[in-house]
Amino acid sequence: MSGPIRAALADLLKIQRFTALILDGRKWLLPQAEIRLLGSLLDIDQEVRAPGSIGAFALEDEWWPVYCLSGELQLLPQLAATRRVCPLLGNGADRFGLVCDRVESLLEPPRLAALPACMGPPGSPIQALAPFGDGLGCVTTTEHLAALIAAVAENTDA
Amino acid sequence: MPESSSDSTAWILALDDRLRAAVGERELIHLIEVPTLLEVPLCPYYCRHILVWNDAVLPAMDLAAWLHGQPSQRSRTLAGVFGYQMRRGAKPEYGALLLAGIPARARVTDESACGLPKKPRNWRSAAISCFKQGSDLIPVLDLAHIFAGGLPQIPPQFG
Repeated sequence: MSGPIRAALADLLKIQRFTALILDGRKWLLPQAEIRLLGSLLDIDQEVRAPGSIGAFALEDEWWPVYCLSGELQLLPQLAATRRVCPLLGNGADRFGLVCDRVESLLEPPRLAALPACMGPPGSPIQALAPFGDGLGCVTTTEHLAALIAAVAENTDA
Repeated sequence: MPESSSDSTAWILALDDRLRAAVGERELIHLIEVPTLLEVPLCPYYCRHILVWNDAVLPAMDLAAWLHGQPSQRSRTLAGVFGYQMRRGAKPEYGALLLAGIPARARVTDESACGLPKKPRNWRSAAISCFKQGSDLIPVLDLAHIFAGGLPQIPPQFG
């Protein structure tokens, strides 16, 4: 396990509460503290657009851009039919909404393992894996999702 | 009969119905028939699954897919768990390779050493040596290099 992977895992292991965002059946786990609000799709203003977004959500006198990502974290140009809820994610530096099929709070801290070195390039948004039963959650953070969205939106815009 | 100093024992692995490779006798730790493979998004086409073994998350690599440069269709799923060390004296680490059949033991002598097969052409990145068994060339896998992410990213269809 490389130094950065070990450090990322050590930081995540300190977090007790995670929330699962379900996108096309895949579970993406984020620190629960980064979920600022569970918004309704009805509150998304589709006229307010940032590059790559499907609209924006008004909160605390600010617009939060809202994005639609596939289960493989590909930026989708429009709202996917299975999306039902819009959690707003914020970490102090990044803030945006991400439409999801479902959102589940995990009652217990998940058992986390590092992403094996041969499975992801440096900079992968997957910071750890969380196997449970016959399933798997991928752990990421608002910061990593924001970086991924910014990179894709920039390329789309260019 | 004791092994001579130039003899060693290897496991010959069926990576798919054509490709064969070998590992050292002590590198194959466990064999799992019909493993539960969990898909991980955003991963290379040849390593998109993990399996949980003894509470550890192991990459389940389809080395044949990497060698051919394209995802493979497998009619049978068998996984071998392999141990390796990043350096002498280091803690053992583990990874899994998808296999097409039960590994076979083979006695290898220094005299059987040979060059790597010319095809697929990327054997050089995955193997540390090679030996001849009958008319077959059997590359010996560099497991530490393979599981540490050392395989060059070959786009699908380029093998």
